Amino acid sequence: MESVLALGGLVLLRDSVEWEGRSLLKALVKKSALCGEQVHILGCEVSEDEFREGFDSGINGRLIYHDLFRDPLSWSRTGEALPGGPLGALQAMCRRTDPGPFTIALDSLSWLLLHLPCTAVCQALCALSHQHSRPGGSCPAEPVRVLGLLHEELHGPGPLGALSSLAQTEVTLSGALGQASAHILSRRPRQRPAHQTQWFSILPDFSLDLQGGPPLESQPHPDPHTPPVDPTARVTFNLHLSKKEKEAKDSLTLPFQFSSEKQQALLRPRPGQATSHIFYEPDAYDDLDQEDPDDDLDV
Amino acid sequence: MAAVATCGTGAGSTRSIVATTSKNNVTSFQRKGPRASGTDSGCSRLVSIAGTRPSVRNGQLLVSTGLPALDQLLGGGLAVGTVLLIEEDKYNIYSSLLFKYFLAEGIINGHTLLVASAKEDPADILQELPAPLLDDNYKKDLDEDICNHQTPDSNIKMKIAWRYQLLPKMESGPVSSSRFGHYYDASKRMPRELIETSKWHGFFFPEKLSSTLNKEPCSLTHGYRRLLQFIQKVIYEEGFDGSNPQKKQKNILRIGIQNLGSPLWGDDICCTENCDNSHSLTKFLYVLRGLLRTSLSACIITMPTHLIQNRAIIARITNLSDTVVGLESFIGSERETNPLYKDYHGLIHIRQIPRLNNLIYDVSDVKDLAFKLKRKLFTIERLHLPPDLSDTVSRSSKQDLAESSKLLGPGCGMMAGGKQHLDF
Repeated sequence: MESVLALGGLVLLRDSVEWEGRSLLKALVKKSALCGEQVHILGCEVSEDEFREGFDSGINGRLIYHDLFRDPLSWSRTGEALPGGPLGALQAMCRRTDPGPFTIALDSLSWLLLHLPCTAVCQALCALSHQHSRPGGSCPAEPVRVLGLLHEELHGPGPLGALSSLAQTEVTLSGALGQASAHILSRRPRQRPAHQTQWFSILPDFSLDLQGGPPLESQPHPDPHTPPVDPTARVTFNLHLSKKEKEAKDSLTLPFQFSSEKQQALLRPRPGQATSHIFYEPDAYDDLDQEDPDDDLDV
Repeated sequence: MAAVATCGTGAGSTRSIVATTSKNNVTSFQRKGPRASGTDSGCSRLVSIAGTRPSVRNGQLLVSTGLPALDQLLGGGLAVGTVLLIEEDKYNIYSSLLFKYFLAEGIINGHTLLVASAKEDPADILQELPAPLLDDNYKKDLDEDICNHQTPDSNIKMKIAWRYQLLPKMESGPVSSSRFGHYYDASKRMPRELIETSKWHGFFFPEKLSSTLNKEPCSLTHGYRRLLQFIQKVIYEEGFDGSNPQKKQKNILRIGIQNLGSPLWGDDICCTENCDNSHSLTKFLYVLRGLLRTSLSACIITMPTHLIQNRAIIARITNLSDTVVGLESFIGSERETNPLYKDYHGLIHIRQIPRLNNLIYDVSDVKDLAFKLKRKLFTIERLHLPPDLSDTVSRSSKQDLAESSKLLGPGCGMMAGGKQHLDF
């Protein structure tokens, strides 16, 4: 699970109805806050109080919460709502100027995808994840982590595929027998993606408890056809030669090889063999006239 | 199109004959003599640009794609003025490598580059180009690879079919120092001096996005319109279309566009099936091809076609591009563990080859090709599948073949997508 936070960029937490991901999101937020990073939270789906529930005061003090839940369409003109709506809030986060490691938690990307055009969300996410190299070019590789919670069932394959192609790490939540597991796919640039499955559970104070695996009975049986298919087995001809057969094969003279014995055999007529005869019984339709062989043609 | 007129061997003698006859008879055929200024060395008719060569089949001017194996499959190289479309593999590892090979080839030959991307800064892309391999280094690596792969069985020389021993493998080794295609070492970076001495233009879409405020409603997506204007400006100002009379040597413009069609360009064909601007990308390709045909340039585009939801758009895009190559990597699919494919990293499909000034296609007769990224080199080889013999063997390999060669048109019903083979 450490690799999830170590690699910067966009981290997609894909959850479903059976295995919810908000607790994992809060656990990762707590971990980042404990490391001393700045954590910004864009809350859209649940209220601020509900999100902050379970965190102690130290962590709560470190979280900077941008609330979109109370007034998403900016109807109350008290000035508390975020200017520009959700897109404005995202773009404001892109323009931060203070250095230091930075974590942004999007409470949910699904909410943003449903309220904003997909292309705008993708562009904003790309701008956020590549933020560390932009300002002035003087910042070293300070990782900017964007943790996005995505509810898989709400979207079609299009937006899911588009976001997967942007993400550096994808964590898909599933589980068995009450035990949650996370399938982590991490894509380092220019390297093959690495898969990892981690069983875990979240404690009441939102710390992560990594576990080895579920009880043995719940492990799925391996597929019956896992022994790899050997194409050279069970063929109707012999692909392997024994040593004696190999020697016999090597010593065989091939028909077109013109050795001296063959030459002698062809030149010398074999004794005891008379000149060959041809026996032929003329047919009823045969014309035995040798001078005009085409006489039978009706021309 | 930049067609090349080849000089005949007897051109010199016929020229003199024509000159003598024209003094006697008034003829309407005027043959231009060689230029007195002598700017073009050698034969005055040949367009001699570094890094190009005329095709042996139809005289088309070709540039190398950076991968000699791919050049061979495309009939010698990529024709100047055409578009090479690469359908990306799922995790965009190998297609970005091909993209970088194309750009690296441009730098080695001294061509001008134009790199456009919506995801990465073009300066960063150029820093990651692979280093060129020199002749002696390549030979050492090739011998090393051959020694590793040789099994005792392959040492037996063929006695009956001995002519097949002389048949070359898919990729041919380096020929001479001034060869057409170069080999690159994917594990090393190109030296900075080479990149700095080269001329390149970069188009990073997020930078251009932030500088505009109004979005006028038009059928072409905003990003595509800006990119086309940028390309047109570069072609016009640098004189690749012959508009500014060039005093110096003519040069080729290599255009590279990365991840075209992804949502980062503002296009939503990857997000929804019925999108509003479904014609935006096709219009872009059409206008781009028009720009390329009237200038000395070649373009490579990588496109995430596995994300495009509407298959009809993929068919249109294929028709609007000239050469289309699809990459399919085995990562994450069940083929990774299949012993049939264990030596390779993916399949490469040549989906389309253009017919330029020609009546026939230059298609090679090998259809199943696979690629493999060795420690340093990217190789493309013929995929040898075992013959269908016993029941289980044929079932597994037939299903794989069926899935890899399935090309469903948009009108096919559900049954066509099934896995059942028709049994005769």
